[in-house]
Amino acid sequence: MDDHFTLRVSQVGKSFAGVQVLDGVSFELTQGQSLAVTGPSGSGKSTLLHLIGTLEPPSSGRITIAGRDPFALREREVAAFRNQIIGFVFQDHHLLPQYSVLENVLVPTMVFRRKGEDVEERALELLRAVGLSHRLHHFPGELSGGESQRVAVARALVNNPRLLLCDEPTGNLDHTTAAAVAALLLELHRSEQTILIAVTHNLDLAASFDRRIELKGGNCVEV
Amino acid sequence: MRRSLIHFRGLHTAVLLSSAAATAVLTGALLVGDSVRGSLRDLTLERLGRIDHALVAQPFFRQELSADLAAELSFAASFEDVVPAILLSGSALDAHTRNRASRIQVIGVDWDFASLEGPEGPAATVLEQLRGMPDRHFAPVVINQSLQKELQVEIGDPILLSIERRSEIHREYVFGRRNSAAVIQTLRLTLSGVVPDRGLGRLALHPHQNLPLNAFVALADLQKALGRKGQVNALFAVAGESPGSTGSTRTLQDALHRVLRLEDLGLSLRTGSGFFALEAESFILPRHVTATARELALEMGAPFQPILTNLATRITFKDRSVPYSTIAALDAVQREGSPFGVFELTDGSPAPLLAEDEILLNEWAARDLGAETGDMIEVTYHVVGSRGMLRTATDRFRLSGVVALRGMAADPLLTPAFPGIQNVDDMSDWDPPFAIDLSAIRDRDEAYWDEFGAAPKAFIAAGAGRSLWRSRFGDLTGMWIAPPAHADEPEVRLHFQRELLRRTGPGVEGMSFQPVKSRSLEAAAGATDFAMLFMGFSSFLIFSSALMVGLIFRLGVEQRAKEIGVLLAMGYPLAFVRWRFMAEGGVLAALGSAVGIGGAVLYAWLLMAGLRSSWSAAAGTPFLDLHVQPLSLASGYMVSVAVVLAFIGWTVRQCGRQPVRALLNGTVAGRKAGSRRRTRVVAIACLGSGGASVSLTSFVDSAVAAGLFFAGGTLLLVAGLALLSLWLGRDRGRGLSGAGSDCARLVRMGIRNSSRHHGRSMVCAALVGCACFIIVAVEANRRTATEDAASGLKESGHGGFALLAEADIPLHHDLNSPRGREELGFAGGDAVFQRGTRIFSLRSLPGEDISCLNLYQPQRPKLLGVPAELIHRGGFRFQQTLEDVENPWSLLEEELEPGVIAAIGDYNSVQWILHRGLGEDLLVQDGMGRDLRLRLVGLLKDSIFQGELLISETNFNHYFPDHSGFGYFLVQTAGERAAHLSSILEGSLGAFGFDVTPTAERLAEYRAVENTYLSTFQVLGGLGLLWGTLGLGVLLLRNAIERRGELATLRACGFRNSRLALMLLAENGFLLGTGIFMGALAALVAVAPRVLSSGAQVPWLSLALSLSLVLAAGLAASASAAHWALRQPLLPALKTDQGVVRAGQISTI
Repeated sequence: MDDHFTLRVSQVGKSFAGVQVLDGVSFELTQGQSLAVTGPSGSGKSTLLHLIGTLEPPSSGRITIAGRDPFALREREVAAFRNQIIGFVFQDHHLLPQYSVLENVLVPTMVFRRKGEDVEERALELLRAVGLSHRLHHFPGELSGGESQRVAVARALVNNPRLLLCDEPTGNLDHTTAAAVAALLLELHRSEQTILIAVTHNLDLAASFDRRIELKGGNCVEV
Repeated sequence: MRRSLIHFRGLHTAVLLSSAAATAVLTGALLVGDSVRGSLRDLTLERLGRIDHALVAQPFFRQELSADLAAELSFAASFEDVVPAILLSGSALDAHTRNRASRIQVIGVDWDFASLEGPEGPAATVLEQLRGMPDRHFAPVVINQSLQKELQVEIGDPILLSIERRSEIHREYVFGRRNSAAVIQTLRLTLSGVVPDRGLGRLALHPHQNLPLNAFVALADLQKALGRKGQVNALFAVAGESPGSTGSTRTLQDALHRVLRLEDLGLSLRTGSGFFALEAESFILPRHVTATARELALEMGAPFQPILTNLATRITFKDRSVPYSTIAALDAVQREGSPFGVFELTDGSPAPLLAEDEILLNEWAARDLGAETGDMIEVTYHVVGSRGMLRTATDRFRLSGVVALRGMAADPLLTPAFPGIQNVDDMSDWDPPFAIDLSAIRDRDEAYWDEFGAAPKAFIAAGAGRSLWRSRFGDLTGMWIAPPAHADEPEVRLHFQRELLRRTGPGVEGMSFQPVKSRSLEAAAGATDFAMLFMGFSSFLIFSSALMVGLIFRLGVEQRAKEIGVLLAMGYPLAFVRWRFMAEGGVLAALGSAVGIGGAVLYAWLLMAGLRSSWSAAAGTPFLDLHVQPLSLASGYMVSVAVVLAFIGWTVRQCGRQPVRALLNGTVAGRKAGSRRRTRVVAIACLGSGGASVSLTSFVDSAVAAGLFFAGGTLLLVAGLALLSLWLGRDRGRGLSGAGSDCARLVRMGIRNSSRHHGRSMVCAALVGCACFIIVAVEANRRTATEDAASGLKESGHGGFALLAEADIPLHHDLNSPRGREELGFAGGDAVFQRGTRIFSLRSLPGEDISCLNLYQPQRPKLLGVPAELIHRGGFRFQQTLEDVENPWSLLEEELEPGVIAAIGDYNSVQWILHRGLGEDLLVQDGMGRDLRLRLVGLLKDSIFQGELLISETNFNHYFPDHSGFGYFLVQTAGERAAHLSSILEGSLGAFGFDVTPTAERLAEYRAVENTYLSTFQVLGGLGLLWGTLGLGVLLLRNAIERRGELATLRACGFRNSRLALMLLAENGFLLGTGIFMGALAALVAVAPRVLSSGAQVPWLSLALSLSLVLAAGLAASASAAHWALRQPLLPALKTDQGVVRAGQISTI
């Protein structure tokens, strides 16, 4: 991985069934930067996140991550790229209820694992960082919403991603818990030196990010 | 509720279809029972036409008896018609091609035969065709299609029918004729027509679904050929159709007795001087006739004189002898004033009472021999030795006087009509049934014959006569009865005749009407309850369907967990919520079951089609048609609704136990610690008791072993499922990470995922496990015909016999002796009989097949009389015996209480067809029409005797004295000679309808039926497995849809679709594999003791193939489901709350 990790979004557009959700969105982020994406419901915030996360290809424009166009890669390479470079945190934690906290964090390491890599140590380290080292063998059903989201954050970071994408990570949490999770995210972002992009309605949270863009009518405006 | 039903229409459609499937299978099984019963009933009505009662007698009787009966008032009031006929069994041969058919019915019919059927029926065609071809030299014969198929004949071809020549004298009596020419009569006929195998074309009185081979001959032609002009041996009666005129057997029998004559029973009253003599055409008076006559005479106060007269081949004193003389044994020599005439010595003094070793000679014989009172006289006479061979015996008597040749001593009535002796002018014209030395007959013998006829030359005491000449047929040749003092002789005679007829009529074998139609209709209920049988076969399918209903309904309830939570939170009582769901379930069950009724008809139709075609081994003939009884539909519907509702109720109850908080979160899950403890206890208990049950199967008889096998296997399977349950619910903090490839890790993830929905996973594993248990258990129990056929072991199903044979016409000679074979017309082949070949001849009483090959419920089983030599030889395997003895066959010789005799049968037939058990009695009628109880003292295991019951020959002869000869044979010979011997026997004894069957083939026939049932069970088990697989697919889809959020997250984490598919496949494959493994292991462990003890081969290859197919089919279904699930867009689930599925989504499942 190069030292100057950059995300470039150039004139990206996306339409679904004739409806233009995004139209000519452009911005660039470098390693260590954070970006909050705000906008009304249906403005395409999550769609933008999915495009950047390589979950969907854009209808127009180009996205390059560390100088590479992930959509030019083959399916297997895209998956590996996503696994190694990108981490996701969703509004709902989407933890797997049949796995323990530790196992949930380890889930991304089940594929494309590099030989000799001590993934468990990394997971434990992250769980310590999110304050859940005492809940390693508990199951999602035994956790609170905030704890679950913290596990989701640890899971997103277990493969040392360079790009951390969060889709309303505190949307389901109460004010206090949301603030704690947000603080944790930013702290880890800083310590891990990732690019952090978060979709949020929470303007307070957005204010803690380096930059903020607002999506409206498919276009983005940097605030 | 209507809105709910519509809103969740997709899910509800699945519930409805599953209910329909359960109803279709359950009701379909009932319809199979209806169809078998209905088809047998149709068959009965078809093959009997209008015949309600039939009388088939051993002796022939007057044809006019039918007219006399028809004219009887009580008959006319209740019956419409009675038709005379001749009904015989025999064999047929195409004179050109030599094609032979045995076990055919020869039916002599006259023009009334058509009245037994409608004008369009084959009966009318038979008569029309019998009238054809008048220019032929030979009488016409019409055969049915089945016989034509056997003989491969065309119209105009000559056919030889071999039937048993009727003999008044019992063939095994000393004067019976036993040589082939006297036993067999062959008729050459010309085929004038072929009638279809329907209606009376398939006339058969014994209920059996197989097609009979019938040959119809004009009654007059058959009577002429048999020398029985104006005589028949069968009557068919048609009951009235108008209400209230339905004739009962009792009415018919009473009417018959009123028109019977003594000659119809083979009896006669000869007129003597002031008395009358009761005699029998059979020479010897049957015991029951003697007993009745004695009883009557005593009642009437009439003096009577019992007489037993026999023929002495020689009466010798020193070097002088008198050839061929009759000797009478008298009860007590009558003194002066006897109504039977004087019986005095030459000096005019009364003849002395005789001791058992004393004899009286008449004056002619004493003079001829030069014997005087006190001399020792030798009497030589014939006796019947073993297997019908005649031998001579000699006894010595002290001459106690010389009787004057007048009065009773010279009465020719003392000697009944001797066969071949009576009515000839000279002794040199005698044609007795034994070799006669004509050179021994002197002129003075001829002179005696001319003057005194067959008057006895000697007299012995009645007791001595009985001990020397009594036989199983009786011990008197005549009885003289004189009227009491001052009574009118004709009046006494008439009264005696009437009473004798009334009291003895039913005792003459076959001289009574049998309600053949009503009995056959009763028998049409079937030996096996096919409804229950197929219910059993389909039980797994029914269970699977019901489980599917519960499973899918549970999915629906889970989907609506929030709804339940909200209702409960709003204060609705739990009972209300449960009833709401139950009401919905009830509507779905009712609608689904209604749909399933149509499916039931289709399901039953398919099963009947299967029974008709590929499963013909069980059905015998393709006669089965679909019959639908509204009662079965109604009961099937109600039971199905109840079963489905029970499963729905159980599901609703389970969901209702969840905390409201969990329900509001949309979760229905969670197992308590207590349930794990219970599961552990269940696992240990089932493992222990299952293992013990299986171990015990080696030490108990197979009836109990079968129960233990299933119980043990089921317990082991439950133990396995309990262990799986524990494993799924175990503490899961470890094991996901670790070394290995991506694939290995994904497989581990998939396996771990199976624990997410514990209940669903258990249902899947249980469904697959049960189905595999059935498949493996059935396959491992399937037996091959060669299992022990080649072993030659005495203790086996074939008893060490390579061949068995049956003869339509009984044989009266010993096949083991060269002389016996010579008498039977064998030409050569002695060598093959001499090298270790031994043939055991068994007596055979015709009756109904009691094996599984007969679908009717047999009521009069075929009986075999087992000779002493076979009893002492032993052999065969016994399943159960009443006493623990070294040779269970010896139990047949045990004397039981009066009216009860010992019998042995095959376990399968006794248990499943006769529905009896060891030590139980079976009621039959003996030869005299009296009740006889057969006590089952031993049950054979998988033997060749599945079609009959066995009693000792001694008992057979005692209770069925009128039956002669041997009709069943067991051939002990080396395997390589069996085929050659078989062809020699069939070739030489073809006219007897001698049919040889390898014992292995007979066993294979029985096993084919058993294996057919096993296959049915397996096929339906396979269908159940299909359901299980479908359930697995449904679960996978449901799981995948529910976990769309998770799957999307995993994809976001870099999991490709192929990896996700692998993970899902591993999850289902694990459940599938575990189910297969547990089911197969439980079945194999359960079957192990039987396999190890019997040395039976487990068909590993076919088992492996079956299970591989199961696995492949299951994986294919899972792969399809995974493919479908992953093709759906996952990303929207990242935004929805937990990816909960909308109602419409599941409808695509």
